[in-house]
Amino acid sequence: MPRLLRERQRKLLLDFFSERFRFPRQVFDSFEMFAFSRQAFLVRRQARRIDWPQRAFVRCGLPFARNVAGFLKPTTVFVQRFGGHARKNVLPLNLETVTGLCRNGEISLPLLSKKVQVPGYVIVSMDRHFLGVALALEENRLMCRFPKAMKQALERIIP
Amino acid sequence: MGDRFYLPEHLHNAPPFLKILKEYRNVIPFPDHLMEHLKRPLPVYFRINTLKTSIDSAKKLLEKEGVEFLQTEVAEVVKVTRHDHSRPLLSYHLGYIYPQALSSCLPVLALEVNPECAVLDLCAAPGGKATFMAQKMSDEGFLVANDRTRGRITSLLANVKRLGITNTIVTQGRGEHLCLPCTFDRILVDAPCSGQGKYRIDPDSGTVKHEVIGKTNLPAIQKALIKRAFDILKPGGILVYSTCTLNIEENEEVIQFLLEKRRASLMPIDLPLQGQPGIISFRGKEYDEQIRLAKRFYPHEIDSVGFFIAKIVKGAPEKATP
Repeated sequence: MPRLLRERQRKLLLDFFSERFRFPRQVFDSFEMFAFSRQAFLVRRQARRIDWPQRAFVRCGLPFARNVAGFLKPTTVFVQRFGGHARKNVLPLNLETVTGLCRNGEISLPLLSKKVQVPGYVIVSMDRHFLGVALALEENRLMCRFPKAMKQALERIIP
Repeated sequence: MGDRFYLPEHLHNAPPFLKILKEYRNVIPFPDHLMEHLKRPLPVYFRINTLKTSIDSAKKLLEKEGVEFLQTEVAEVVKVTRHDHSRPLLSYHLGYIYPQALSSCLPVLALEVNPECAVLDLCAAPGGKATFMAQKMSDEGFLVANDRTRGRITSLLANVKRLGITNTIVTQGRGEHLCLPCTFDRILVDAPCSGQGKYRIDPDSGTVKHEVIGKTNLPAIQKALIKRAFDILKPGGILVYSTCTLNIEENEEVIQFLLEKRRASLMPIDLPLQGQPGIISFRGKEYDEQIRLAKRFYPHEIDSVGFFIAKIVKGAPEKATP
């Protein structure tokens, strides 16, 4: 069963999204946060009105952050749904660059460290569509962190 | 009426579906049109997920991806007229669209969910209707999406996640015996069925495509599901029973069973597509007059999968909760 996050753990996550991406805290006001497996889930508060069936339970809500090698990483599905609220470390790219990123797994982007904070995860957008996250590193390196199926789709958009 | 429902001679030992169509010739409007219609492939529809994007923005992206489409009677659904299926769609991977038959959206519209509701989808996988309900609830309230089989739950989970839904709890259990610690304002029973509404006829051989002939006693399962659903519905709550089959035993007879066993009433259904009334007399059997309020959607009348929908309220119809 998922575990409801304590206030301290909730604050840790809110601080991360607020500091790294400048998400307004109100975005999360109507949600409870749960931990399940290595992921944190956002669940509408109203869903807590019932006691969840323990035997039949499979999953709740939307995975929004996970722990990767000791670092917090926003999930692709969260970024796609809520990315529009982020005001910092959002990297708009054009289709050619996104395709290159997917094909090669890593690209070098001039002045990357001037546009976003490195090292750390950044939200990648294209034509105001929020695609997912990438890892920005020193020396202008950008590593793709899109799910495999999404990468394959983007690779094939330009024949 | 005569034998308007022409069955070629080589199909006299035909598989059950064609025999059923022949038997139903008097209850299906323009049966010869249906026969012709079934020779065409099923049209493709995309439902736009307004939780992640606006309808306009999704349409622009689809156009950019080379998809041609037409607006349907349902605001969120477009009919795809041209699309290269070998090319993956970014719109799909962004969770902007869900490929779903137009008629498959109708049970959700009939259920009239809102953000205040506690909703249960008893047979939810793969999640087309459950995710549309979440969308119609503006991803608020709460929705329990249940299904029986682990394999089908996997696709349900994937779709709930891809469409970015937060108000849904996924459970696994037999709907007939599902034990949940609460009652619901709205319940959808999109029951497992023979799927005759999806069948197509091969224009060359005249044989039925996609037909599955099994030994499962579907009406028994459907009756157990609808009874269980009704028992966990709040007084004044609404239950929608739907199937994608034309078979009266899986539709009207199931509703008749519920009306005999419980204090249920049928409600009129107001939908953007025209359907035919439920059948109240067949093979010498008479069903409750209320069953006329149910709707039958035939493939040739709506250019989509055939569907049956009944809207049921617990208690008197005027007491349905908003």
